[in-house]
Amino acid sequence: MQRRAFLQSLALLGVAGALPASIRALAAAPAAVSVDDLPALEGELTLYLGRGEGGLYEDVLNAIQKRNPKFTLNIRRGPTAALANAIVAEARAGVRRADLFWAVDSGAIGLVNSAGLAQPLPHSLTGQLQPEFRFPDWTPISGRIRTLPYNRERLAAEDIPDDIMALADSDLKIGWAPAYASFQSFVTAMRLLKGDKVTKEWLRAVSKHAKKYAGELGVVMAVERGEVDVGFANHYYTLRLKSGKPDARVNLAFTNNDAGCLVNASGIVALSEGELPVNFIRYLLTREVQSYLANEAFEIPLVSGIAPPNGLPSLGTVSPPTVDLTKLADLRPTLNLMRSAGVL
Amino acid sequence: MTRWPYSYPIALLVALFALLPVVVLFTLAVDTAQLFDSRNLQVLGNTLLLMAITAAGAVVIGVPLALLTAYVQLPWRRFWLVILVAPLAMPSYIGAFTLYAAFGPGGEINQLFGLATPAFEGLSGAAIVMTLYTYPFVLLATRASLLNLDPSMVDAARTLGMPLLQSLWKVVLPRVGNGIAAGALLAAMYALSDFGTPAILGLDTFTRVIYVEYNAFGLSQAAMLSLQLLAVAGLILFLESRVKSTRERPGRPLVLWPRRSQATLMIAAVLPIILLAIVLPLAVLFLWLWREGSGTFTLQYAWNSTYASLLAAAVAVLLAIPVAHAAIRGKLGRFMERVIYLGFGVPGIVMGTALVYLGLQLPALYQTLGLLVFAYVLRFLPLAVGTIRSNAENLDGSLVNAARVLGASPSEAFRRVTLPLTLRGIIAGGALVFLEAMRELPATLLLGPTNFETLATYLWRVYEAGLFGQAAIPGLLLVVISGLGLALMFSGERWNLKESKEQ
Repeated sequence: MQRRAFLQSLALLGVAGALPASIRALAAAPAAVSVDDLPALEGELTLYLGRGEGGLYEDVLNAIQKRNPKFTLNIRRGPTAALANAIVAEARAGVRRADLFWAVDSGAIGLVNSAGLAQPLPHSLTGQLQPEFRFPDWTPISGRIRTLPYNRERLAAEDIPDDIMALADSDLKIGWAPAYASFQSFVTAMRLLKGDKVTKEWLRAVSKHAKKYAGELGVVMAVERGEVDVGFANHYYTLRLKSGKPDARVNLAFTNNDAGCLVNASGIVALSEGELPVNFIRYLLTREVQSYLANEAFEIPLVSGIAPPNGLPSLGTVSPPTVDLTKLADLRPTLNLMRSAGVL
Repeated sequence: MTRWPYSYPIALLVALFALLPVVVLFTLAVDTAQLFDSRNLQVLGNTLLLMAITAAGAVVIGVPLALLTAYVQLPWRRFWLVILVAPLAMPSYIGAFTLYAAFGPGGEINQLFGLATPAFEGLSGAAIVMTLYTYPFVLLATRASLLNLDPSMVDAARTLGMPLLQSLWKVVLPRVGNGIAAGALLAAMYALSDFGTPAILGLDTFTRVIYVEYNAFGLSQAAMLSLQLLAVAGLILFLESRVKSTRERPGRPLVLWPRRSQATLMIAAVLPIILLAIVLPLAVLFLWLWREGSGTFTLQYAWNSTYASLLAAAVAVLLAIPVAHAAIRGKLGRFMERVIYLGFGVPGIVMGTALVYLGLQLPALYQTLGLLVFAYVLRFLPLAVGTIRSNAENLDGSLVNAARVLGASPSEAFRRVTLPLTLRGIIAGGALVFLEAMRELPATLLLGPTNFETLATYLWRVYEAGLFGQAAIPGLLLVVISGLGLALMFSGERWNLKESKEQ
């Protein structure tokens, strides 16, 4: 059982193996750090954890706590955007409760950062990431790519347009989850790339042959059942479904260089000063955690030198658009647009 | 009377607290961009439709069942009554959750038996679920009225040659119209403020859209929608206040003895309702339990739920006694009671949003159990007030007078006469608050302390993650604990007394 093996390896490696001195030497190293090389965590932190990853992030957090007996992690779970709201409102009222915010969507990070709440992170931390994912005041943890899961009994790969805009004019039955944060980030990306007017028309046109679901797992399940032909969803829902059900009638398609194959990231931001939050983040970028997220959660590791999840074509073969991830925080106009198009 | 009764100042204070969330919403809504747009109209339409269909459905099912349980001598009467009221113990979102998973292509029924069933979703799905879990309101309210009727008029009608069904229709039902209306309005109120059911079944009602807006940083828009929702709730509360209970001299209740074939037919008609509302959801939960085990569930969640709800019930009862007292004592007290009823119309998501902002002004309260309990009390206090008041109103005032004449002080008369006689109502009211607080979801999501997971929030978490199987244990526990609360509530209710009198 891979999950249990991971938990044990992370927990049993032992505090004695930690060598705080080696951390400085690693600053220059390109490869991922092992948990063995990290300093033990001592003290207490409160983490606001964006909800939606079905317990896989919890496994990681439990393992970190187990490995560091002198460390207490308080977790507040909630929808990512609600937590971002709360953090901003708390700061405005002069009440700080969260030391860290782990969001499942970079848009929420952008909201918190634009309120000036993020602490800068040292280069020794951010330098571990692949160059395009280095930011001064937040750290992506894992990547996810927008995909078009389709029912392979009803459609062939070539039936799916490789242009997201063309889907509006198709007669395919589409499943989507407009209330879902990742979908809203995707629409924001489309807005940034194509403009508001085109995006609104696209939403209107698609909504005529679209069916609404609560979350993107629901979308993928509906595609698999044949309730709809094709859906909009982050890649890992399909991979997770197929890992539990290898004969699932769903395959992944990608569009070409548009918002339809946006690469987004979950990420973490430190809200309070000091070594402890930074060192905590270091744990999330270790080889062990990154491989676990890739193998079990099917998320794309963003630290250099870690293999991507099985079943996903390498990022080299898809052509994601160039979008500044922190700009995805500009959600308000997106929501107004979605409301006026009648899809939210 | 020149002096205010002792209960007035307390009732006034509670009423002011009840108004706090509304004030917060107004301040949040000022910087909203849109007061009303075509989308709101659509949401309003969905909400009103769901309310109307639910109320109508609850009447269509609840009234015949009330007649059945009040007048017909079925075998195992008591059993049928308990089973027909049992949907109250099932939070409607668990019904929505399990029925959604059971029906439709690829649903559990499809997988197990290969039967193709239509999917359970949208307006029709939400209306069916709401009806299944609100008809007991109509059933109970109507049944109580039926048992209070004087049956001699039916006897007179039948002696004059009117057939039984016609006399039920023409002579009985018009006189219990108020009971039916009260039950239907409760069902409508429930449909208006429920969050889980429309969210799970994908119907855009006010509560769901408010949640979506709130989660998408649209705070002021959420506040604006909340105020619109409150306006609808206020309207229903106004209608509810117009419904007056009629009094007639009660006689021996009507008794109908069905033939064996008739009894079988009646039970057969009742079975589909029980099957859909209780048996199927429980079966799905057990199926998941068998298939997936307990997952990451710990008993701590059940304890958290129970503990917070018990606190809420205790505080609500303490506050409800003076409010109920004030409502009986005078017009002003009655008005303050109506203000407190507003809390029942504030859905959890709205209460949660408002109290987050209130809490931030008082950091010592923010993210504490205290603030969560405060939210529960504000929301569910009206339930306790209503139960305690109706119980106290039925007291024979001459008993207190007798005590006073015999030299007891007002407080002694209250302690030694009124309180023991109203204890049943107090227990019932507390149990009702407990029941509602146990299953409350959206306010708990927003207000609970860090690391504080309840049965309801855990259920929501596994639902959102799509890990339906892990909902089995918390779902079953919630039903069991709700069932206990319901049993406690009925043990304190008047109809229980009535029942024993009939035997």
